[in-house]
Amino acid sequence: MSGPFLLRKFARCLLTLLLAVTFVFVVLRLSGDPVQRMLADDVPARVIESYRTMWGLDRPLPEQYLRYISRVVQGDFGVSFRDDRPVAAIIAERIPATLHLGLLALGITLLIGIPGGIVAALNRGRVVDRVVMGITILGHSLPNFLLGILLILYFSMTLRLLPSSGIGTWQHMVMPAITLGTSFAGTVARFTRSAMLEVLNQPYMRTARAKGLGRPARVWRHALPNAAIPIVTVIGLRLGALVGGATVVETVFGYPGIGSLLVNSVAQRDLAVVQGVVLLIAFTMVVTNLTIDLTYGWLDPRIATSGKGAKA
Amino acid sequence: MSALDAHPPARRWFFRPRRRAVKAHQRPSLLVMICLFWLALVVFTAIFAGWLAPFGYTEQSLMNRLKPPAFLGGPAENLLGTDGLGRDVLSRLFFALRTSILVALLGTVIGAVTGTVLGILAAHFRGWVDDIVMVLVDFQASVPFLIVALAVLAFFGNSFVLFVCIVGLFGWETYARLVRGLVLSVSGEGYAFAIRTLGVHPARIYLRHVLPNIAGVLVVQLTLNFPEIILLETSLSFLGLGIQPPGTSLGLALGEGRNYIATAWWIGLPAGMVIFLTTLSISLVGDWVRDALDPSLAQSE
Repeated sequence: MSGPFLLRKFARCLLTLLLAVTFVFVVLRLSGDPVQRMLADDVPARVIESYRTMWGLDRPLPEQYLRYISRVVQGDFGVSFRDDRPVAAIIAERIPATLHLGLLALGITLLIGIPGGIVAALNRGRVVDRVVMGITILGHSLPNFLLGILLILYFSMTLRLLPSSGIGTWQHMVMPAITLGTSFAGTVARFTRSAMLEVLNQPYMRTARAKGLGRPARVWRHALPNAAIPIVTVIGLRLGALVGGATVVETVFGYPGIGSLLVNSVAQRDLAVVQGVVLLIAFTMVVTNLTIDLTYGWLDPRIATSGKGAKA
Repeated sequence: MSALDAHPPARRWFFRPRRRAVKAHQRPSLLVMICLFWLALVVFTAIFAGWLAPFGYTEQSLMNRLKPPAFLGGPAENLLGTDGLGRDVLSRLFFALRTSILVALLGTVIGAVTGTVLGILAAHFRGWVDDIVMVLVDFQASVPFLIVALAVLAFFGNSFVLFVCIVGLFGWETYARLVRGLVLSVSGEGYAFAIRTLGVHPARIYLRHVLPNIAGVLVVQLTLNFPEIILLETSLSFLGLGIQPPGTSLGLALGEGRNYIATAWWIGLPAGMVIFLTTLSISLVGDWVRDALDPSLAQSE
């Protein structure tokens, strides 16, 4: 992978992050005076002034902006309006739960989506293909909050097998992970299928067949590696939707992760926490997509040598 | 993003004006007919909710709280039962449908128009206009939209107009990217060049000549975008951060019903099923439209 290519990628990522920070700052300032929102109407003007000085709200906007950026870079997102604890600490204690859930869900997505797409592509036009594609459309249309509620209704209320909310044991993870994981399996399956179909028609596949390779070898050694880039790209792009879905799923199952923290903070208008979570998610997304861009060279050595293939 | 580029050159067929009409074998299947019928029913109900609903959607009857649907032994006048305040679930479902469809339609129009205009501007002016639009597109695509929507709602509080605008911003970047690419390649076509040499104003070229030629792609994108917009609206309302009571929407109805799920499932589940069936129908009809517009896609995708 060539130097300029990497450099351009990094620059783009930094630009996106800067945009995210700017977006949060602008929205934060546009939305009104946080001091007045936090304090009651009858608080004396002197107290309001002292708060404004304390938070640096009396400075000129460009200075506030630069101070905001420097604080964010140092990982200081301010203090929660609700319980006066640093936002960074509040967020940090929620990260492990969401990571567990997200990785589990991602695993389920890949385990269902990729084999499903491959099977559909190999049996294109047959019953198997139609069934798999039918299921993906069903999965795509079924809102994750509805699926979550239906699962709770059946497995918690009727069968009394699994806890409907909370965290702690592996049973608590089953329904949230399935709800979140299956909601994107369909998309992954569809893209895997079309990426595979494109590859299966290539001349080198015919060559592989002509030289007597068995079907498993053709699929695993020749087709899948060549279909990998579009599949990985789609998974990277869908990660954002996975994060969005996590907010809903965590709320449905009362799962104490980043998503439910965000929803609660929005409901209570705890702006410090909201901006912290938004910046964290933006950062995660940018880093993830950068990582995916970097894996292109490993997935497809042709990109590594020319540096042009994955031009953004 | 080249691997994902929505429009490889192979798709140039869209610009050939007046391609062959829909063929016989692309007539809607029974499944698509059922979906179309359901969508017609949904639109009809949404428009005439006021006449169809047996009760007002805020009309409470505290004597009649949590009554099960008529077919499960509830009172005959409440076909789908009543909720925790004794309001008729069926009537509320009609009005919820109206709100959700209205928000989704407005949102779709806002998103499609914004994206198309920005896409055309980017393609027409190139240079720094193009750069700015594409940076915004990248930014929007890099942060999950639900998160941005939640943040804006947290910062500005909630109102119907703001909510519609937020829903409208969803998906503009897809239209912008799509239209930009299409306009760039159309501009290279002979007919666009011919019109330009006649001295026609650019705005007229785009409105009268380019837009009709890329309409097919836009329609396909609409059918892909619409179910997602419905899901965005219902998700936000379900979380209690979208449409606010006393108003109602499909997501809010399901969210309110969630608290009664153990004892009175009929409050929330009908709204959930309507969301499911509607998004499903649009997806299936969308697939059919796509295949009808482009037979070659049916094979490759």
